[in-house]
Amino acid sequence: MSKLFTTTALLAALALPAQAVQPAPGETLADSQTYTYWLLDAIKTLDPAKNTDVEGSDVLRQLFEGLMNEDATGAMIPGVAESHTESEDGLTHTFTLREAKWSNGDPVTAQDFAYAWQRVVNPETASEYAWFLELMNIQNATQIIAGEMTPDQLGVRAVDDKTLEVTLTTRTPYFLKTLSHATTFPVPQKVVEQHGDAWTQPGNLVGNGAFMLESHNLGVDITLVKNPNYWDADNVVMETVRGVTVNDNNIGLTRYLAGELDRVQIPAGQYPRLSQEYPDQAVSIPYACSYAYVFNVSDKGPEALKDVRVRQALSLGLNRDIIVNQVLQGGQKPAYSWTHWAIEGFQAPDAEIATMTQEERTEKARALLTEAGYGPDNPLSLSLQYNTDENHKKLAIAAQQFWKPLGVNITLNNVEWKVHTDRMQNQDFDMARYAWCADYNEATTFLDWFRTDGYNSGKWSNAEYDKLMADSKTAEDTAPLYKQAEEILAEEVPAAFVYHYSKVDMINPTIKGLPTQNVTNAWYAKDLYRVAE
Amino acid sequence: MFAFILRRLAVAVPTLLLLIVLSFLLMHLAPGGPFTQERALPPQVLANLNAKYGLDDPLWRQIWNYVYGIVVHFDFGPSFVYPDRTVNQLIADGFPVTLTYGTLAFLAAVLVGVTLGTLAAIRQNGWLDYLAVGISIGAQVLPNFVMAPLLVLVLTLWLGWLPGGGWSFSDPSFWIMPVIALSTSYMASIARITRSSMLEVLGSNHIRTARAKGMPERRVILRHALRPAMLPVVSYLGPVFVSMITGSVVIDIYFSTGGIGKAFVDSALNRDYAVMMGVTILVGALTILFNLVVDILYAWIDPKIRY
Repeated sequence: MSKLFTTTALLAALALPAQAVQPAPGETLADSQTYTYWLLDAIKTLDPAKNTDVEGSDVLRQLFEGLMNEDATGAMIPGVAESHTESEDGLTHTFTLREAKWSNGDPVTAQDFAYAWQRVVNPETASEYAWFLELMNIQNATQIIAGEMTPDQLGVRAVDDKTLEVTLTTRTPYFLKTLSHATTFPVPQKVVEQHGDAWTQPGNLVGNGAFMLESHNLGVDITLVKNPNYWDADNVVMETVRGVTVNDNNIGLTRYLAGELDRVQIPAGQYPRLSQEYPDQAVSIPYACSYAYVFNVSDKGPEALKDVRVRQALSLGLNRDIIVNQVLQGGQKPAYSWTHWAIEGFQAPDAEIATMTQEERTEKARALLTEAGYGPDNPLSLSLQYNTDENHKKLAIAAQQFWKPLGVNITLNNVEWKVHTDRMQNQDFDMARYAWCADYNEATTFLDWFRTDGYNSGKWSNAEYDKLMADSKTAEDTAPLYKQAEEILAEEVPAAFVYHYSKVDMINPTIKGLPTQNVTNAWYAKDLYRVAE
Repeated sequence: MFAFILRRLAVAVPTLLLLIVLSFLLMHLAPGGPFTQERALPPQVLANLNAKYGLDDPLWRQIWNYVYGIVVHFDFGPSFVYPDRTVNQLIADGFPVTLTYGTLAFLAAVLVGVTLGTLAAIRQNGWLDYLAVGISIGAQVLPNFVMAPLLVLVLTLWLGWLPGGGWSFSDPSFWIMPVIALSTSYMASIARITRSSMLEVLGSNHIRTARAKGMPERRVILRHALRPAMLPVVSYLGPVFVSMITGSVVIDIYFSTGGIGKAFVDSALNRDYAVMMGVTILVGALTILFNLVVDILYAWIDPKIRY
């Protein structure tokens, strides 16, 4: 699949230069080209090496540009890289950069990328996303993070001003897909060294994206204006982008309805009403995150969960249809796989559970539990831990009710976020609520989680699964391997997958160019424009 | 009096030190740390982070370095969650906002509360009394997390008069809703305390004497009753003022003011140790200061009190 992408997408791109989305014929542009969107919280940092969250990435994508961008469907298109070649063994990637400038007029060079990536893995930077370069399999990343090598030994080299050479430790089918991630964005060495930690503040920050930082009031709002030095500035219609923090989602909706915001998340449970009242504004877009109840099968976990029949029964007993249709009500889908259904090229596994009716599932769950020695006479008692949140609570209560008729008594254990995370990472739980969001649009971002050396907080381990994931690195066609891996998960049930996310938003219909097909929801303000009402 | 103030200030230093040490220890007792995340960090990355922020030092050394930084450089350290900013910057950004709407809300609460309470006491059991008591009970039972969304609904969505949130020092239209939402319940308490205290004073001997001398009622109230009636109110106002100017997480969340109240709660949830300590010290120092101010005011209001 990756081969297919490198050949088709980039060749097509070379023939047809990457361009911002343009108004369609017959559309009249509004006089004011301003896009104002909702932020749940303060933007924590504008340093690409230190950013860890989605809202930060959204802003960084406008202020900086990486080697690749994503189009409205999530496919990779050239960013600063104009073309790309890959060596026969897949270990060396060479990028040719286009003529692009920083917002202060300096040229964007291959050295800027090399410096930025070295900075991410440099222990002195203490980047929380340093692991992302390990995930990209860049040569020596791991050793540099561990302090065993120096940052200049990283497998990234500026051959000349416009040629960047990247060396990988192993063939990495998803490598190009990681290049639109904020962690890989270039940073201006001069500016970073001049201002230190304050280089990201308004007045100091220099970027190479289509927009520049105008102002940033922490926890209040952030304003970006069009960058005249951007290489494709002629095709950028939007003039101003404003992110407005509203910590309360319901007030966010009120302010959207009052016309203060162009986009806001719909508060839980309100999608059915709003999609009736505002059919042209309420949208539900597949969003690449999966929600699960992880079973602790480690030595510290309960004996019962080490029995695969118990895990299967618990998964079967969850009525996912009620969860998505009655509780969440926002176009989410029941999950019978860990990988989100809309991930590019993903084929859902042939799992029996997906095709059964809930009655059949419940019946089978009862039989499995009886076989394992549990039932109404010998009830199974487990705890389900979740972090404080209305939705997690609703779902946990629902799960408790679904499992009760099977003779499973659930103690709900509501803890604060950091406690929840800490306990999960120390295997101090029976079952715990978990969610994972894709780092890039390919199945390994999910599947790697269950590898023996993956994050895998339930400590499930399966040699066959590990081998499949290792083999997929060098496979020509990875889809069948991912499907097999999912089949193992469906059979072994290291976690009960609950639902696949969708992003449920209100969007002002005069704003055009927001992607509704991209599961990572990466959006670029350079593609946006506002039409007259 | 001067010696009294000096004495109090001298006690403040060990009090603050004790506060720092206790908060520091409590904070480190809580499970998880600033870098605990949904996806566990690779051990080496975590080690790099801990080394950068000195979190791998023994606790006593961390406390020592922290206090040393404050005393010698007035440096409250870096934020772990907002790596682009220092704690000094975060407080410098957020505190003026909170101070502005907090002070305005305080003034509004005192003016309206004292007036309502006084009127109610003068016209005890009259319609004015019932109205004032009614308003203050209403304001008391309507919590600000209910009031805030209602204000936005009415004043922003329905009437379109005010911006639904945000902050600007130059545009007072951003201040109005935070001030209303923050002041109402305090106003209600002040009104009730004023009323009962006023009633007590109005029944006392010196008021009867003043009236018997034929003094005009207005003068009786303003000159002879209000001042002694203020004593319980003032003792209530000291801590209230501190809590109002150091922020309300509800106001900050609902009106996105960027104030220090939300920063404080977030820092506790995020285990952003330095920010949490910084705000704790700020609140602690202000509390000590305003308790002292209240004591001084006491002496001024009540000549019987001597320090």
